[in-house]
Amino acid sequence: MNKDFLKIENLSYKFNGVSAFEDVSFSIAKGDIVAIIGPNGSGKTTLLKTIIGLYEPHSGSILIDGQTPKIGKHLIGYVPQKFEFDRLIPITVREFMDLERCGQKKHSGPNITKALAEVGLKDSEHKKLGALSGGEFQRMMIARALLHEKDLLIFDEPSTGIDISGEKTIYDLIRTINEKRGTTCLIVSHELNIVNKYAKTVVCLNKRMVCFGRPEQVINPETLKNLYGIGAGLYHSHK
Amino acid sequence: MLEILQYPFMIRALLAGGLISVILGWLGTFVVTKKMSFIGDGVAHASLAGIALAILLGWAPIPTAMVLSVFIAAGIYFLEKKTNLSGDMAIAIIFTMGMALGVVMLHFYSGYQPELISYLFGNILAVSWTDLKAILAGGIIILGFLAIFNHRILFATFDPIGAHLSGKKPGLYDLLLYIATAVSIILSIKLVGMVLVSALLVIPSAISRLFATSFKKFIIIAVIASFLIVVLGLIVSYYLDLPSGATIILFGGLMLLLSYLGKSIINKARA
Repeated sequence: MNKDFLKIENLSYKFNGVSAFEDVSFSIAKGDIVAIIGPNGSGKTTLLKTIIGLYEPHSGSILIDGQTPKIGKHLIGYVPQKFEFDRLIPITVREFMDLERCGQKKHSGPNITKALAEVGLKDSEHKKLGALSGGEFQRMMIARALLHEKDLLIFDEPSTGIDISGEKTIYDLIRTINEKRGTTCLIVSHELNIVNKYAKTVVCLNKRMVCFGRPEQVINPETLKNLYGIGAGLYHSHK
Repeated sequence: MLEILQYPFMIRALLAGGLISVILGWLGTFVVTKKMSFIGDGVAHASLAGIALAILLGWAPIPTAMVLSVFIAAGIYFLEKKTNLSGDMAIAIIFTMGMALGVVMLHFYSGYQPELISYLFGNILAVSWTDLKAILAGGIIILGFLAIFNHRILFATFDPIGAHLSGKKPGLYDLLLYIATAVSIILSIKLVGMVLVSALLVIPSAISRLFATSFKKFIIIAVIASFLIVVLGLIVSYYLDLPSGATIILFGGLMLLLSYLGKSIINKARA
């Protein structure tokens, strides 16, 4: 197993001279499910966008399977918190999933159907993208990553705006993909109960790295007070 | 009907209009998807600087405006991407700067410039054989670009982060889309006029969006609607002896209205 599938060393990023996060270092093993937690404005989303190469780090390095983001970014499937688009534009699920092949005949129809079936969207390929609910859209994004055989799936608060049952469906799906395919998953989440239930590793970020470890080691009143500045905890901690 | 084909100016107008309509209909689907409908107005108005420069120096206006339009498109792109200005702010700045520059330059031109009105509102008689050759050459290059890079442009337009991750350089395709749109707008100016031309980017897509069930059909219906609007608008303008640009746009507006009515009737019948 590659223990340094995603390796981040001394990473810092500044917005107009103001630090978004600094001196962040951690490694993720292949096949891990890692959750990044932290308060609003702690740099979580900026860190994800730096990992996927949208932002150039101020200092430090990122290696994805030994490659810089510029070269290794094709290994990444990214599911944003909110995908902004005009819901009246008549693009179908199938067309959207097929965008990456850019007209090449690499993926035939059955592969798209299969990927959609894997995320529970069996008969959705001819639906318009704008007709999907929030939960269906996130699952479709996961299906697209499966179709293109991404090795690292990055989720930025994947259950934002989704009800409890939709949230459970998405996280169960993430776990199933991780177990069946060995896909490495990196998730930003505010939901400590979800993190505790699904993540194998937790990174606590508040401009700097506050903690790193297994959920049972990290999610405790003392660490959470350091991270959020107030007493926080789990409503229940059953796995 | 065939009577109008006896006139060379009408043949030139129909050939130029037919090609331009296909291009603007196609480009419009991306422009509308990107919520950049204002770009057509911005480029067309800013091109007054190029037209004025050409009039002042005695150069050919359309080629001069075409070259300038590439810089206008690049200017909008760089203002949008490299500063914290939004797309509409970038367009508004370039739009007004170009117009202001054009007005100042025309101030130094002594004498009446009747052709200027043709550039503002379009003139069916104004498309010369030289213009037609420029429109055909420029139009075929843009059509080729759209045909070859259609999927990449859509990927960059609809999902720039996904395009970035798969190494498709969304910024490059955005820039090329802006340039293709700007050049197409200039190619259409003599027929439709700089004040009205942006409607041809938006109206066909607005019609198509009502009926299309996929992006492929969105493009096809927009191209057909655009072709019908321009060609039928030209024919109507000939028979009613009306200004070509304004007639084309009004005809487009009427088609959009009828499309909305048709769509609501279909929806009610299905309910």
